[in-house]
Amino acid sequence: MMTWKTLMSPDSASPLMEQLTFLHDHALMILLMITVLVGYLMASLFFNKFNYRYLLEGQTIEMIWTILPAVILIFIALPSLRLLYLLDEVNNPLVTVKTIGHQWYWSYEYTDFANIEFDSYMIPSNEMEDYHFRLLDVDNRIAVPYNSQIRMIVTAADVLHSWTIPTLGVKIDATPGRLNQISFLLNRTGIFFGQCSEICGANHSFMPIVMESISPECFISWIYNMSEI
Amino acid sequence: MAGRLLALSARSIKARPVPLGAAGAHSNPALDATRAMIGNREIVGYGMNGQPHYYDRSDIPLPAIRWKEATADIKCLREKEKGDWRQLSMEEKKALYRASFKLTYSEFKAPTGEWKQIVGASLMLVSVALWFYMAVRVVTRVPLPDSFSEEKQQAQLRRILDLHVNPITGLSSQWDYEKDDWKK
Repeated sequence: MMTWKTLMSPDSASPLMEQLTFLHDHALMILLMITVLVGYLMASLFFNKFNYRYLLEGQTIEMIWTILPAVILIFIALPSLRLLYLLDEVNNPLVTVKTIGHQWYWSYEYTDFANIEFDSYMIPSNEMEDYHFRLLDVDNRIAVPYNSQIRMIVTAADVLHSWTIPTLGVKIDATPGRLNQISFLLNRTGIFFGQCSEICGANHSFMPIVMESISPECFISWIYNMSEI
Repeated sequence: MAGRLLALSARSIKARPVPLGAAGAHSNPALDATRAMIGNREIVGYGMNGQPHYYDRSDIPLPAIRWKEATADIKCLREKEKGDWRQLSMEEKKALYRASFKLTYSEFKAPTGEWKQIVGASLMLVSVALWFYMAVRVVTRVPLPDSFSEEKQQAQLRRILDLHVNPITGLSSQWDYEKDDWKK
């Protein structure tokens, strides 16, 4: 989640998100270099005393400043394309979680082992404890085992929603009448937050997503407890 | 400005045709107009656009007319100028320069300090805008939610650190878990 002092993206909890962060840092570095170069050129043009009325062309420098941006773009494009294909890799998930977006809550189903279904409502501000995060905490969190590939199948019951967790680099639209699938892996334990990302009515800002990443043993006991409810 | 250009060209068109023969004893009206504008100053070249105007510019250095009308002294110096320049004293060289030109390069390229007025005025206007912005923010202020109170923020921060949120480069990476305090 975003905390104080978070200027750009939060730290990643998944290897794909790490790669996205690296690509972002790489592209931003290139952008910053270009900005500094252009800023310096503009400043030096502003303050110089050069004076020549008959300047028409300079073939060499024109060649350079046409080819150079193309080269820079190649430096950005190659890592970007590599990551693009990496995100679409096929893998073999261990656990499948189904999520359905409603107005205005998410419901989750774990049907691999036992028939577990539950709803996840935001904790209203007037029922919050001191330590709760306003507009982010929910009553029932999704639990998943870490270091295991998770398959998420997302759909909606009424209008468009979008299921997202920024630290995992995951965002998928929940479309009624359609099943969208995404696969991810968490490489650390913790609690990860997200918020509905497709306008869906009055309480669109009040249907967050909370995922708890736990050890496989804890996950099995959680499944066991939930299936008895 | 376009109107002025039109009037000027109309005047020069009106000045033609030049009368020939005995009728041409009267001088050229176009030349009269020029002389009325610049007085007795000598036209010495093309200048910027062929018009007999004086200007000081570093990129088009030589104006079309001299700066001052030629007096007897200057005419004398002009004759001396046709000989060896090493015979001219510094004062004479300066007099010749000032007869042809109003300002030296360093004089017309000297900084005017105009930027200070412009930057100052802009900053004053920006500060007025900021005052307006602050006024709107003060008038439309809404109380913060409960969760912004100091104790609740402390509780939330404690929970953030316990959860190891952003442990790589974010907030939890600045916390020393062994000492239970921020890293020094």
